[in-house]
Amino acid sequence: MKGFNRLIYPYIVWAIIMIILPMLMIVLYAFTVKGNDVLTFQFTLENFVRFFKDPIFPGVLWRSLKVAFITTAICILLGYPCAYIFAKMKPNNQAVMVLLVTLPMWINVLVRTYAWRGLLSYVELSSEVRVYVGMVYNFLPFMILQVYTALSKIDPALITAAHDLGANDTNTFLKVILPLSLSGVVSGITLVFLPAVSSFFIPKFLGGGQYLLIGNLIEDYFIQTGDWNFGSAISLIMAIIILISMYIMRKLDREPKEAEVN
Amino acid sequence: MEHKTKVHERIYVALMMLFFYLPILYVVLFSFNASRSLSKFTGFSIEWYEKMFADRMIMSAIGYTVLCAVLATIISTIVGTITAIGLSKNRRIIRESINQVNNLPMLNPDIVTAIGFMLFFTSLRIQTGFFTMLLAHIAFCIPYVILSVMPKIRSLDPNIAEAALDLGCTPLQALWKVIIPQIKEGIISGALVAFTMSFDDFVISLFTTGPGVSNISIYVYGAIKRVNPTINALSALIVYVITIVLIVINVVPMIKERRREKNEQNFEKSIS
Amino acid sequence: MKKLIQVQNVTKTFDGQVVLKSISLDIYENEFVTLLGPSGCGKTTLLRIIAGFLEPTEGHVIMDGEDIATVPAYKRDVNTVFQHYALFPHLDVYENIAFGLKIKKEPKDIIDQKVKRMISLVGLEEFEHRDVTTLSGGQQQRVAIARALVNEPRVLLLDESLSALDKNLRKEMQLELKQIQQEVGITFIFVTHDQEEALTMSDKIVIMRDGEIEQIGTPLEVYNEPVNEYCARFIGDSNIIDGIMKKDELVNFDDVDYVCVDKGFKENEPVDIVLRPEDIDIVPRNKGLLNGEVKSVLFKGVHYAVIVETSSGTSKTVTMHVTSNRDVSNPEAHEHISASSFYMDLEDVPTLTKSEVITRANAQAWDDDDEYVSLNKVEYNVDEKVGTYDCTFATEKGTEITIKIYVVEPTVIEDESNEEGIQAFDFIKTVDEIKESVALDTDLIRWADAAAWNLEDESRVEIWDVKYDFDDETITEGDYQVTFSTQGRELKIETTDHIEEGERIGLKWAPEDVHVMRKMGQ
Repeated sequence: MKGFNRLIYPYIVWAIIMIILPMLMIVLYAFTVKGNDVLTFQFTLENFVRFFKDPIFPGVLWRSLKVAFITTAICILLGYPCAYIFAKMKPNNQAVMVLLVTLPMWINVLVRTYAWRGLLSYVELSSEVRVYVGMVYNFLPFMILQVYTALSKIDPALITAAHDLGANDTNTFLKVILPLSLSGVVSGITLVFLPAVSSFFIPKFLGGGQYLLIGNLIEDYFIQTGDWNFGSAISLIMAIIILISMYIMRKLDREPKEAEVN
Repeated sequence: MEHKTKVHERIYVALMMLFFYLPILYVVLFSFNASRSLSKFTGFSIEWYEKMFADRMIMSAIGYTVLCAVLATIISTIVGTITAIGLSKNRRIIRESINQVNNLPMLNPDIVTAIGFMLFFTSLRIQTGFFTMLLAHIAFCIPYVILSVMPKIRSLDPNIAEAALDLGCTPLQALWKVIIPQIKEGIISGALVAFTMSFDDFVISLFTTGPGVSNISIYVYGAIKRVNPTINALSALIVYVITIVLIVINVVPMIKERRREKNEQNFEKSIS
Repeated sequence: MKKLIQVQNVTKTFDGQVVLKSISLDIYENEFVTLLGPSGCGKTTLLRIIAGFLEPTEGHVIMDGEDIATVPAYKRDVNTVFQHYALFPHLDVYENIAFGLKIKKEPKDIIDQKVKRMISLVGLEEFEHRDVTTLSGGQQQRVAIARALVNEPRVLLLDESLSALDKNLRKEMQLELKQIQQEVGITFIFVTHDQEEALTMSDKIVIMRDGEIEQIGTPLEVYNEPVNEYCARFIGDSNIIDGIMKKDELVNFDDVDYVCVDKGFKENEPVDIVLRPEDIDIVPRNKGLLNGEVKSVLFKGVHYAVIVETSSGTSKTVTMHVTSNRDVSNPEAHEHISASSFYMDLEDVPTLTKSEVITRANAQAWDDDDEYVSLNKVEYNVDEKVGTYDCTFATEKGTEITIKIYVVEPTVIEDESNEEGIQAFDFIKTVDEIKESVALDTDLIRWADAAAWNLEDESRVEIWDVKYDFDDETITEGDYQVTFSTQGRELKIETTDHIEEGERIGLKWAPEDVHVMRKMGQ
């Protein structure tokens, strides 16, 4: 189909302006001094030095990573068994369960987090635990759905084959089902860990301002303080850390390469 | 691996569902509370609903949210579909690089994408407001549309467009009459994703909107500082709307199916 | 030989549907057994019961004197090669083959030895550490066989294992499987719907239908002595003929008696007769047991597949009235119109519609630029009585044509010996319509409204042949005869002699080549 290939030209222009340029702006701001005009840049590493020399900031970064890590771990521990139970149900019930898990996700994230604020007012909990509850609540459905998808894609013949080759239920799970569902766990991790690191309204709503994460820092520097250069530097540091962790995840996921479609 | 769900498995799933639905039930319940309290239910009233409908800020937030979601969905679905069709006819290297670029807003944390837009708009001295928010929404919705249309295009018979041209279609007719109907499902699911992404968005809207323009999320974020049960009513309203929409989506096909069966029976009766 | 597995009265129902009906079957050591039947006959269900993936609803599966019907699959000395192989995509070739041994926690060096031996048995030495998803179908098949055999099962089950391969590879794997079976010396139970596969590989064939066993025997037995029509059809390409057993060693079909070697039937018992195509010899006319005309000859590489008609079907001849073209022109409106008179069945009068009248009359109108003009008037007044009626077609601009509709009683020809009826009507066509026809036979059947049916159950019988003696390229006005007929007795014959279509020949066979079978369900 000659001619159809030209259909992408408008989008290329759009993508350069609306996706690539904004990203470059962050890099540009992170490496320049505050009060720049668009045409006169003064490059500096000062923003990064300031971040790592600060008594609080590296700790906040570390805390964000810790919160995201623990949230992800809890989501796997709670979500995997749930997805596994779903995958074993009758097809009709599976569809109902998936719908039930998806349904709350349709309701605005802030609204759901707001609801937890009211609910948690009944119990005495540290702000840290409250943040965990909010995080797990928001991200658990992603984990369940990803793992469920991976599990339901497993060819039932493989399980029959494992039984045929002498594996009992436990062995079949450990040697066949678990390894084959790991790809779902990995994509679940990306869907949980990533937004958890950068989340800023969950700690704000549920942590009551006591338990700040790196997302809150970025928001502060952009909305309250107005120091965009420093804010950009923090975002860049976060983005790089996320990029590295994603890279590690991809390496860990030794999913068999799919045969090329084309 | 299909088998009967055991008792402890049922309990586990039930607890999960309780966890998922407890806050939603809580919000709905307290939206009818007679007092301002968020922990004591003192009596039934619809006061907060009345207050909500009288509140111009809330009404304008709802209006902006819906308008932005509708416009962003329409534009991103059209652009995304056209781009996806174009992509499939391009060389691998171009496809790969566009996919990489599209991954940026999908894989980057929202807050990074959001400040990117903010820096970009303010550097260009564009007054932030509804228009900038809409642009940003379109920008982050298009990749999702492409992502859901692409697999459908890939499963098309590669000669289908040639066949249409061979039978006398112009390229535009081939697109409209042959390709689009076959990838309709992908387009619809792409549009649905785009709509929900835009409707639910908070972070990107917060950074790209301007004074006086808030969507529901931004309104809730701003109002959280004080105890404000109108938010319960607003939240409950959202729950109602989504529940109704989902019921309609899931039940209407069932009713249609029933009616079709009934009609068939009637038809059989009428001819026998 | 020792009995290895005894299937005793095994019944299996799924949601109240009976899939296996009290099956009993003995399987011996070192045997290559094939379960043969079409999809849905229960062969795979039986295999899955032997494998332990399903429990029988009733009955026993005895192995070594012990009932193993409820023993789970992973505790049985049985392994399976699955239809789509079911290789573990997260493991490489070596790991797939080693899976069962690792589960049994055999020592590492033993596992390595056994796996290596299997890999060389199936000839995959170079692929040991390849990702299984990158292998070809044949290679995946070999991995699946090795993965099962490495556990040294007493029985290997193969579930339609060759069906996913292309034809040449399948032939190759058939030989290889047979070799492997002889080399490892264990029992193979093979499930297939491919009769050729069954005949090539098996020591014993079990033909199944609707959850029951129809016949058990060696390939030679089931080929030469099918017990009924079903088995005969399933094994090999046969002529299966309705006949009557006059008395012992004498059978009758198409009103002629033939000598055979079968006995033990009742006098005048209706039977099915099998004549294998390769058993029929072609001889000069009147020198054989019966005569026929060669209908078609197809070269099959080694032999010719010949179809000979030995008795004709039911036929009906009608007259085709060919007229010149009768276009009516309307110069004022720049339009033209044409239509032909037609004959119709009295019975069809009540259901006659305008669009059907247009189709039957082939009415059409067009303008000077040859663009179609729609007919907005179709007027006819046909009573439910034999007779001739007028019918007028017209366009909006008033261009019109009048034709005749002849309503006639159908004349049915009934042929009692064939138990068939046939009817067709005279018809009127223009020279152009005949010349423009791209599928004349089909059009003639449609124009004459020719139809044939079975007298017994009124089911439709295909019009097999249309005969006429005009040349449709050069046809002129006049009356022509057209004969429609159903299929007569046609025999399939395999021969290496060359023979021409249309040749009249004689046919001959030896009495022992006539296989008489009981009618099914009796």
